[in-house]
Amino acid sequence: MSSLCRIGVLQLADSAPVLVAHARDIFSRYGLNIQPVVMPSWANVADGLVWNGLDGALMFPPLAIMTALGQRGRAIGLRPGLPVSRGGNSIVLRGQAAAQSAWISEPDKKKAFHTWQSSLNRKPRLAVVHLYSTHYLILTRFLKKISVCRNTETDIVVMPPARMIEALLGGEIDGFCAGPPWGADAQLRHLAFAVSGSAATVPDHLEKMLILTDQWKMRYPDETKRLYSALSEAAILCNQSENSASVAALLSAKQENNGLNLPEKAVRSVLSDGKNITETMSFNTHIQTPELSFGWMIRDMLREGWLTPDDLTKLSALGWC
Amino acid sequence: MKVLLADENSHRAGALASLLEADNTLDVVMLHPGTSLIDAVRIHIPDIVLVDISRSDRDALDSVRALSASGLERPVALFIDEDDESLMEDAFAAGVCSYNVLNTPVKDVKPLLRSAIALYRRFRQTSAELQAARKTLSDREATDRAKLLFMKNECCKEDEAYRWFRKQAMEKSRKIADIAKDYLARHDRSTPV
Repeated sequence: MSSLCRIGVLQLADSAPVLVAHARDIFSRYGLNIQPVVMPSWANVADGLVWNGLDGALMFPPLAIMTALGQRGRAIGLRPGLPVSRGGNSIVLRGQAAAQSAWISEPDKKKAFHTWQSSLNRKPRLAVVHLYSTHYLILTRFLKKISVCRNTETDIVVMPPARMIEALLGGEIDGFCAGPPWGADAQLRHLAFAVSGSAATVPDHLEKMLILTDQWKMRYPDETKRLYSALSEAAILCNQSENSASVAALLSAKQENNGLNLPEKAVRSVLSDGKNITETMSFNTHIQTPELSFGWMIRDMLREGWLTPDDLTKLSALGWC
Repeated sequence: MKVLLADENSHRAGALASLLEADNTLDVVMLHPGTSLIDAVRIHIPDIVLVDISRSDRDALDSVRALSASGLERPVALFIDEDDESLMEDAFAAGVCSYNVLNTPVKDVKPLLRSAIALYRRFRQTSAELQAARKTLSDREATDRAKLLFMKNECCKEDEAYRWFRKQAMEKSRKIADIAKDYLARHDRSTPV
């Protein structure tokens, strides 16, 4: 058996390929010793990569880019890895059927947003999973599209995806943009309704990527290739509708039983044969050009002022652009 | 210097507070349960925040500088000591991290972080020992109950029952306690294992 590789994941349905490859012994069939590590937040994922707590993680590119540049800790070698999932992020707002009907029937979405907001009696608090996330960029694009000013008309708060439902229930937030299955779960619990998401904002965008530290890749170059192959095989399994029930059962199992403790019904709804109440995620490990994969993210990150032209030179050397 | 301790393990936070309070140059504030990190930083305006790494609202503190909703004008940054990589790795492994509010010098933060690392390690070790002791007790109890049930079901004596469990364990390369738990799960309908 090869050396241990610790891969960080969060409680999200798009972590499925790592969990499936582990549970179905795909990793061990490729001679790999992989340990999925469920992390409490994205800050922990980034710190784990920087301070030798993880060898890799399933994460969104903006956080990997900012971590590579040392914008939230020490700069470390993080390059684009294996694409794993596409889409799946939902934007939901607090409310039930009546609020949803009002939203749908109003063609002017700025007006619809203000009508919805008036029922809250406060500036809407919208949550994202981390500042440096695809979710923040997607929510920003959505608000801009409906002519709502993010900085003055909303309060953006940050919390891990698995806390969103509790925060919505407790009145801490009024909506969120998060990965699967949390948008679907909010709808199934009649807490919120979907207004947009990945598909309407950046169709088929790259969402999670397996990022390995340069240190691990340089030490085990052959294992990196086998890890990509194993994860690609698991991704194909996760896409097949005949496996949806078993994938959902695995993801909803308790963490001590190698699951993620996710709500099963919500997970079923975001898998390929789901009822598509929000966004369907898909798994695709095909490697595209940096422009197709990260172009829109990097442009948005420049616009936010997170990146400078000097950073682009560094990112180019690392293969991000 | 004001230090905010954010740890949901109140026992550990209390122990760390006692340790730090011995230094009369420090003003130690504990985070109240149910208060978010951001709110606590806004209310207490500490110079340093020592955080249990597993706190999920660390994400929010990470993003505080860029978000208008935070209401914090003072910069908050993850404490990084680039010259002492092992200190940072030790902190991560022990389960503690630190944020700087304003521009507290690195040299002032390091002793606090070192104290926290030592204490967190001690807690982790004690907790691991306690867990191991509980498991040993639970294993012993399950084995005794399984033996009694086996003796009743098979009308045999204790040494025969023990030999049977030991043989099963050897054949299956498993522990006697695990075989005993399986046996109870199959045969004992009265109480859960």
